[in-house]
Amino acid sequence: MASGEKRVEIEKELSFGPVHPALIEPYRIRLFVNDEIVEDCELNINMAYRGIEKLFDGLPVERALLIAERVCGICSHVHAWNAVRVIEGGLSIVVPPRANYIRVLTNEMQRITSHLILFGHAFEVVGHETFAMRSFLLRESFMDLISYVGGNRVMPSVPIIGGVRPRADLTESLKRVILERVDEFEEKYKGYVTRIIEDPLVMSRLTGIGFLTKEDAVRFYATGPTGRASGWDYDVRTKMDEYKPFEFNVITDESCDTKARIVVRALEIFESLKIIRQVVKSLPEGPVVNQSWKAEEMDFTTAYLEAYRGELMHSYALDSHGRIRNYKIRTPTPTNLAAMEHACVGDHVTEAILTIASCDPCLTCCTRAEVVDSGRSRILSDFEIVQKYGWRK
Amino acid sequence: MDNLLFFPLLLIISSVVAAAVAILYSLVLPGIERKVQARIQQRIGPPILTPGFWSVLKFGYKRRIEPTAQIPGLYKSLVYFGVGIIVLIFLFSTPYWWAVLGWGSVLGIAGLLKLEEVLYVLMGSQSQSFLSAGMPVPDLAKGSKHVGIRREFVEQHSAERALKMMAIGSLPFYIALLVPFAMAKSGMISSVVAMQNPAYMLTSEWWSVPLPSNPVIFTLPGIIAALVYFVGYVMLLNEKPFSILKAKIDLIEGGVLEYASKLRAYYYLMRNMLMFALSSIFVTLFIGIPFDPFMPLMMLLNIALSLILPVMLATLVAFSPILTFRQIYPAAIGLSAFGILALVISLGV
Repeated sequence: MASGEKRVEIEKELSFGPVHPALIEPYRIRLFVNDEIVEDCELNINMAYRGIEKLFDGLPVERALLIAERVCGICSHVHAWNAVRVIEGGLSIVVPPRANYIRVLTNEMQRITSHLILFGHAFEVVGHETFAMRSFLLRESFMDLISYVGGNRVMPSVPIIGGVRPRADLTESLKRVILERVDEFEEKYKGYVTRIIEDPLVMSRLTGIGFLTKEDAVRFYATGPTGRASGWDYDVRTKMDEYKPFEFNVITDESCDTKARIVVRALEIFESLKIIRQVVKSLPEGPVVNQSWKAEEMDFTTAYLEAYRGELMHSYALDSHGRIRNYKIRTPTPTNLAAMEHACVGDHVTEAILTIASCDPCLTCCTRAEVVDSGRSRILSDFEIVQKYGWRK
Repeated sequence: MDNLLFFPLLLIISSVVAAAVAILYSLVLPGIERKVQARIQQRIGPPILTPGFWSVLKFGYKRRIEPTAQIPGLYKSLVYFGVGIIVLIFLFSTPYWWAVLGWGSVLGIAGLLKLEEVLYVLMGSQSQSFLSAGMPVPDLAKGSKHVGIRREFVEQHSAERALKMMAIGSLPFYIALLVPFAMAKSGMISSVVAMQNPAYMLTSEWWSVPLPSNPVIFTLPGIIAALVYFVGYVMLLNEKPFSILKAKIDLIEGGVLEYASKLRAYYYLMRNMLMFALSSIFVTLFIGIPFDPFMPLMMLLNIALSLILPVMLATLVAFSPILTFRQIYPAAIGLSAFGILALVISLGV
């Protein structure tokens, strides 16, 4: 504890997980409480290390990018897209505008499904099964649309290097279907959101807990809806060329509580619907893929993208044979984790779990290499990994 | 003299019939509740017999798993006590018990219900499931933020919550329970029924259905008390929105987590019986139709009307989140105030 910081007396520790029926991923929540009020929180996430970054090493870039999509089942498209953006940026590969539009379309459709999953999970945590089930029911329309575009509900594999798969090109009939479904969804979704907002019991559970000020959000680098719900107007999409043709608002809320995090996501869905309509109505003609590129040696290149939970970073280099070296992924959750721990303080125990859920953690995706050394564990830096294991040639 | 000779025999027969019918009915009741809830949520829901009858039967045949509670014998016996207490609560509301040592009174019911609440505190303090005690986690090896802090199991935390619920959560229920007795100006159930349904007290024909002429529920204090009773019913059943002592998200099942196989079957039986017993007592005290094993039509009417509270419960559960003590305390205080208002009005009546 830093000097000058307020010292708190802890009565006891309550810990949940890593095996717990309510935790959707294996992690451990340690709550240090007085009576039932959380005074401090510790999240231990390193329970399911998959070593996915190591899998990339030495693979031809085209093959490796299929693995990138499998980093996460909820935001599969955003990983696939950011993975191709790295090489497209590094080797200056031109992407046809039509392909960019389709990538944006898939991204926004999956953003809607991701936010609806959060609602489903958050309302399960709140204990409101009806809202949770309605959320999953609403999500189905976009899961179907994703499968119409990409051929698969969960792993649509839309982006490839230089564009999108020809299978994902939009036909006139599919454009009509998308517009119809979007209208239909919007009407139902408005009713759903209205019911949530007008439910005093649910609102009493969400309001006034899990405070995260803007200063803390910036300090912890809590990106995505978590930061925006603390009034931090930061969205990578506003800086991306792919999003320049589209008009949309960055939703922020100054309330800084759990309700704000839910409301920001709820309103972002309307913005995503707006973008989807713009994509379909103004889809440019032309090819969907540029195949005139060749994998060659590439220096470390990094690409950032606004994933559904916050800022996503992919970084890698290519050797002279076009094989991947030292793939590095930083999902939004690692930076949001500290914010979650901080936001819990002052909450009731049951509310603390809701606060963590409202930050939408995706823990297994963010678990990275760890070395346990003489009783201490620590995360290796890039330099240490290279020093210890060397480059994979 | 004949009556005195036959009374113990009639009491035993009445108790056996009442307990058997109540147990059988309570095996169906959760299924009805779940079905209503599912329909509200646009689901098909489980078959009617599954949550009550089949689950009890299934757990009854499962291989026995010994709990790792601190005193396993005590922990196991608590669930048997629970079933026994609830059967007694129900029996005390049936007519043949009204005359026995004053058990058929507000004290008999409230006292045993309080005892049933204490069971949850004891269960929580005893239980230490493998999810708490047997989970080797490297927290301390990794270096904790706070070293040497006492660790509490989720079950023990559930006991603390049960204590809070016992102290304040169930208060509105007991206040509402007093209202019919206050209106009858007596502590005995027989007086409450006699006030509402004098025809029942006078009839001796087993096939007749004497209906109440002056049900408590159709009076102003009665309807207020009935609403408070319903919320108290939800609190005593530990159902949403008042299921904080077994909130799935943190405490999983709380103190009853370790009940497996036959013990879980008994626990289900205990909970199902409580659901029915409190509904039946509501019909007896607020509508004036007692569960009389020797008047089958009256008994059926009581059973049919006993569906009111579980159906209302299912609706509430479908539309409610779990409330924390931040909401439960004000809710309990507000409901208690309504209960006291009903009590004051009823004393005036």
